[in-house]
Formats: sequence, structure tokens, C-alpha cells
Amino acid sequence: MPRRNPAGERPQRRKDVRHGQGGDAFRCVGCGLDVPVHAPGTAHRNHCPHCLTSLHLDRRVPGDRRAGCRGRMTALSVTVRHDGEWLIIHHCQSCGVLSANRIAGDDNALALLRIAMRPLSDRRLPVSAMLTL
Amino acid sequence: MSTTHPSRPVPKTFPCVRCGLTVTASGPDGTPRNHCPSCLHSLHVLDAVEGGPSECRSRMAPISIAVLRTGDWMVIHRCARCGELTSNPICPDDNQLILMRMAVRPLAQPPFPLEAFGGL
Ligand SMILES: [Zn+2]
Ligand SMILES: [Zn+2]
Repeated sequence: MPRRNPAGERPQRRKDVRHGQGGDAFRCVGCGLDVPVHAPGTAHRNHCPHCLTSLHLDRRVPGDRRAGCRGRMTALSVTVRHDGEWLIIHHCQSCGVLSANRIAGDDNALALLRIAMRPLSDRRLPVSAMLTL
Repeated sequence: MSTTHPSRPVPKTFPCVRCGLTVTASGPDGTPRNHCPSCLHSLHVLDAVEGGPSECRSRMAPISIAVLRTGDWMVIHRCARCGELTSNPICPDDNQLILMRMAVRPLAQPPFPLEAFGGL
């Protein structure tokens, strides 16, 4: 994968903004993985790079940490921004709220692809026929 | 239906904020519509975070297709002004070309080479 996560790289400098839950790592509420908050090429980590699950912490603005919900947010779909970057649409399993989050450099490519493929594997719609056009 | 309250009449049609099409308030199967079947745009009238009506009233663009466990397709809309996201079921007469285009768009612009995943 070209989006490899170089392990031996110099660690990223600590940022003033808090994107984790106060520590250097958080435990994923989806798969239990201990996720380091800071990783190369990942400035705003808000979801697990392995299973893409997030936690409902923000209310309206990313990083505001004003939601009291703390529900588990699963990856629902992906969308493409105008600059071509992929965003994950996260869906809170507790309150139903949706949020859009940039993918990170070390996100699991297969997990991302599976979500992107969901509408295309629907046999009721002629999507696969359209793809061959 | 005779459930319409006299002081708050339910509109039978609404004009699309983007393409101007006169849209019937319910689809062919009777389900209420929230987006234009032709361009799939919507209007930000409900507050998804707080619940209840929204003061925003800006245009909401369709940005993604989500598939429910039941297999039903939902359109994810994003408000052009405030960025709020909503999710709504598709209607049988929704523009299939736009739906398909949204469904294939991420794979047309992948962040990694798809060749490595030939087995999918
Ligand atoms: Zn929530
Ligand atoms: Zn809005």
C-alpha cells in the first residue's frame, strides 16, 4: 500500500489541540484496540484506524467535545469532498446523530473499501452493470 | 386523508430549492418526501442535533448513499450553510442516475490503488 504507516519515522511533535480523551492513547469502543492519539500523517485522529469506529464526543463543531452522549459511532458510508478527499460518515448508535470525518493516513484500507462497496453490492440495482460501462 | 388540521394545512407540493421543480409532498408509495426526486436536493428545516425545527433553512446537497441492514438505501444530505448532516430514505421515483453516480463516486476517486483488492 502506498499509504503505508512508516513505523520508524520521527514521532510527530505534540500539538496544543486535544484530539484524544486527555491521554496519549484511547481504547477503541468498537474493537478494543489501543489507539495512539498521535501518528505520522494523522493530525486529527477521531476514529479507530482498524475498525473505523468513533465515539460521540463533539456536538456541532469537530473538536468541541460538547456532546454528553459518548455513544458508539459506527462508519455508515463514505463521501468524496470537492478536493477528492474521502470522508467517513459516522452514525451514533445511541442518539442517531451523523458526522463527517476525514480519513487518516493509517486507516484500514480494506475496511474503508468495504464501506464504499456497500451500495454497489446491492443486487436489486444495476450498479455493477453501470460499472462495466 | 382527513387528518389535516385546519389551522396547519399540510402542503401538497413544494418547490425544489435547487432546480425549481414542483415536488409532491409524498412519493408514489405514499411516504413523505424530504428531497426533490429530480436533483435530490433538500432544505434544512429540521435540527438533527437538538431535534425540532431548524432556523437554518439553507439548501442541503446529497453527498452519500448509506445502506441499512434491511438493504434499503438512504441519502445523506449536508447543509451548504451550517454543515449539518441528515439521512433520509430514497423514493422509488428518485433520479437513479444521480443515485448511481453518488454510489460509485468514492471508488472513482479512491485514496489508495484499488488494484491491490482485485479479489473483491
Ligand atoms: Zn450520540
Ligand atoms: Zn443548515
